[in-house]
Formats: sequence, structure tokens, C-alpha cells
Amino acid sequence: MSETAVAVRGLTKIFNVPFRRERIVAVRDLNLTVEAGQVYGLLGPNGSGKSTTLKVILGLVSATRGSTEIFGRRSNEVASRNAVGFLPENPYFYKYLTGAETLRFYGKLCGLGGMRLKTGVGELLELVGLTSAANRRLAGYSKGMLQRIGLAQALVQDPKLLVLDEPTAGVDPAGSREIRDLLLNLKGRGITILLSSHLLSQVQEVCDRVGILARGVLVREGPLEKLTAIENQIELVLENAPDALMERIATLVRDSGARIVERRMPQTTLEKLFLEATREERQD
Amino acid sequence: MSVSQHGQMSDEKKDSVYRAFSPRRIGAITAITFTGLIRQKAFYVVLIFALILIGNSIFMARLSFQREFQMLKDISLGAISIFTSLLAIVATARLLSQDIEDRTIYTILAKPVPRFEYLTGKLAGVLLLLALSTLVMSAMFLAVLFLREQTLLNETLQQMAGAPREQIAEISRTLRGSAFNSNLVPGIAVIYLKACLLAALTLFVSTFASSNLFTIVVMTFVYFIGHLQATAREYWLQTSSGGWMTNTFLAFVAFFFPDLQLFNLVDDIVVGTAIPLALFNKTVLLGGSYTAIYLLLACAVFYGKEL
Repeated sequence: MSETAVAVRGLTKIFNVPFRRERIVAVRDLNLTVEAGQVYGLLGPNGSGKSTTLKVILGLVSATRGSTEIFGRRSNEVASRNAVGFLPENPYFYKYLTGAETLRFYGKLCGLGGMRLKTGVGELLELVGLTSAANRRLAGYSKGMLQRIGLAQALVQDPKLLVLDEPTAGVDPAGSREIRDLLLNLKGRGITILLSSHLLSQVQEVCDRVGILARGVLVREGPLEKLTAIENQIELVLENAPDALMERIATLVRDSGARIVERRMPQTTLEKLFLEATREERQD
Repeated sequence: MSVSQHGQMSDEKKDSVYRAFSPRRIGAITAITFTGLIRQKAFYVVLIFALILIGNSIFMARLSFQREFQMLKDISLGAISIFTSLLAIVATARLLSQDIEDRTIYTILAKPVPRFEYLTGKLAGVLLLLALSTLVMSAMFLAVLFLREQTLLNETLQQMAGAPREQIAEISRTLRGSAFNSNLVPGIAVIYLKACLLAALTLFVSTFASSNLFTIVVMTFVYFIGHLQATAREYWLQTSSGGWMTNTFLAFVAFFFPDLQLFNLVDDIVVGTAIPLALFNKTVLLGGSYTAIYLLLACAVFYGKEL
């Protein structure tokens, strides 16, 4: 039986607006479970309660009702954060620190020190591809580099769970692809990932399970392939198929009572096209 | 610490790493706060202003050496007091709001860092900056004092070239005594303590303030009321009957607006009055208690703060 990494039970979060009688319900009666080793995508439009949910899970905001746990520990216990790495949306780290100093700082916060910290910082910089920028101040980092150093700081104590709030927000397609590859790498290493994102194609590429939030309510939840599959349709992609074969297939389909819904040439994604074009430009 | 191949670390190992209280974590936050503050231009602007003011006191009008040393000490210690207080308020006011605005606070508090450690580290970083500034300003002040003492000593010796040796020795002793006395160090220590108190109070205000500006405005009022409240209290007690309501009100005012005049020993130092050890100890205890209480209050408010 797999371990439960994140458990959210009956979570409701209400914010009181100061000096007004207004109350904003950010999350309403949310139930969610993320199993260890899973990559869970929390989707939803702006203001749907994704970031609030993540903050409650991390103990940064308290729940109005309900409870949240990380690997069996309540989120409001500081010790629960020993198992978590977090990357907030559009983070700004201390600009006067270098990449290596930043990781050393976060390592010390996790109780690390000595050779373990020193070698670990080097390994993490290598993992996120920032070894050459290790001694450069963060003020000179690009948006993509900041996201990668953010990911590295989230991984500094070798957490079992990674929580990412819009990890590719504001990053160009190449940087976005690098982060996605990193996430796939981490997924391969068995790290549980809980991420929120607007970029549905990316979520589809990395997530095993998704939950869709709308106005603080979980409106859809389940394994990705089950949620996205159209159960009465099958996709068939052929290569070098002659016209005669296509005619035969069409006849067979017609005779069997089935229906060809769509016939088209598969297309590459705009992201792939962009990456290929910019790669060629760089090589020139 | 690197991402393990299995991506898992046993719970036993995780639990053994976490400590409910860790000086290492506080030290890391202190160091980062101090580094951040020391790299700000505003710090150097304030420090340079103070140093210019202290340095300029060397060019004051030539008076009797006692009067000249008194003025030099008055100007220099006054400058140290004002500029450390200013630095304490301005440097502390933006610590929390900046981290919240930049979302850096999320990355720190999402690590196993209790909120009181975060605030303690932040305050300790400011206190370290204040200690450094006080040291630099004091060094400048003592250098100016020494320079004036030597100049006046040489001038006096030249003027008294033919005088008896005992008279020259007496004059030299008096001159040296007017310049340096044992009150200087405790006097500067109390100025530093006042700045610590103000920094802790600013941190407390910033935990519920909506902006830096609000914190600075509130602290400006606190600073002036703190310096005037002793006079107001005396007047109040003289004109009212002094019942329990009056005493409660005065205690309330004294708590939120600490009597900063208690930390003003400059007048005693200037006129050369010895600061009794009991008074010094009492002032240190008072300053330390205020600082600790404001930090605890800041932690209490910050503990329930929604980030």
C-alpha cells in the first residue's frame, strides 16, 4: 500500500476583508490526496484557490475549517516542512547573494552544514544546470535561471515532496522546457510533486493525476488519462499510408457501422517548432 | 542532501535532522539580514552623514578646553544617538514587508524554520548592523576627541613653556580628564541599547503594519512621545489625584511609548558627572527587558499572521 504524501480533508479557507463586512471564500470543502511518488497537478483559473491551497498545505496560512497533512504530520507542525521543498510563484531571492550562497543559506535553514552542504550545493547546481553561474549574483540571473535556482533551493534538503506554484510562470518556452525536463527527472527519482499551473499542455506531460479547481471548489479530480480520454473514440496514426489503404480503411469503418470523426495530418506543437527554430538560430 | 536516486529519505533520518530550536538557523538568517543591510546605500548615507557631523565638531569655535570638550562630546554623542535611532527604525521597518513583497518569506518559512527563529534572526541582523555603526561612529568620535586633546595639550605646553613642572603636570591632567573619562563607554553602550529597543519595537509594529511608511510614521511618533513622556507624566501626576485609573493609563503609555529619556545619559557624560553603576545596570536591564518583550510581542502577532 502506498504512503500518503499529502492529505487535505474538508479544507475551507475564508479571508475576512479588513474594515469591511466582506468575506472571501478562497477554498470550499476541499478533499484531496496525493500518494507518494505521484505527480499531482492542481489546475484552475486565477483566483480559483490553487495558491491558497498550497499555502495551507505548507502551513503558511491557517485553515478556517478542515485539516491538511504532509506524510502524516499536520501542516501547522514546523517539523512537517522537513520533508517538503517549495517554489512559490515568481519568487525573488536575495539579489545580493550568488547562486551558491543562496543554496548554502537554504541548506543551513534545513540544518545542513560542513562538507555535506558544500558537496550538495555543487550537485544541485549541476542538476539545475547552473554550475557556470554559481558565483554570479542573482541580480544578474534571467527569469529562467531564477526559477531553476528556486527549484534547487526547494530540493536542498532532499525532500520527499516538492510543492511548486506556477513553476514556469513568466519563463520563455526554452526555459519552460528545461524546467519540465527537470520535473520529469525528479519524477523518475520517485519524488512526489504537487504543482499548480495554467499551462495545461505541460501539466499533461508530467502529471499522473490532476484536480481542477473553480471558485474554490474541486470540480474534477482523477488520473490524467482517465479524465482526458474520450472513451468511445480511438486514435490511429499511420506513416506512409497509400491512398488505396486509406480507402480500404474507410470502407471497413463504414461497413462496421463506425464513423471516422476526423482525418488530418498530425501537427507538431508550437513549442516544438519554437525550440527547433531557436536551436537552429543558435547553431548558425 | 543531494536528490537521492530513490528520492526518499527515511522518516527517522528526517526527524533526527529537525530541532525545535536551532542557533544555526537563527545564525543563517542573522548573517543574511546583516549582509543585506550592509549592502544598502541608505546605510552608508546615514553613516557618512553621522561621520561628517562628528568630524566637523573638530572645527568648532575655540573656547576654554573644558567647554570645547563638552561641546564636542555633546555634538558627537547626540549625533551617534540620533543616527543609530534613525538607522534602527529605517533598517527594521522594511525587513518584513520586503520579504513578504518579494515572496522570499515563503521560501524561508516553507523550510523547517519556526516563525520566532525567523524574527529573532532578522532582529539580530539589525542589532549587528547597529553595533557596527555604533562602533564606527564611536571610533570617529574618540579619534576626534584624541586629536583635539593632543592639539590643545601641545598648545597649552607651548604657552606654559616657562611654568613650573608641577603646574604643567596639573594642567595636563585636568585637560586629559576633561577629554576622556570612564563614562564614555557606558554612555555609548546605553545609546546602543536605546537603538536596540527601537529596532525591536519597530519589528513589532511592522508585524501588523500595512506598509513601511506606516511603520516609520508610527515609530517617529513613538520616538518623540518617548522623549517627551517623562515631562508629560510628571505634569499629569502633579495635576491629577493619581488614582488607579491614572496609574493604569500611565503604565499603558509607558509600555507602548518607552521613556527614551531614561536612555539619555549624554548630559551626564558631557558635564563629566559619574554614571553610578547601579543606574547603568538598571538602564541596561530596562533596555534589555523592553527589547525582549517587544520581540516576544512581535512573535505572538507574527505567529498568527496569514502570509
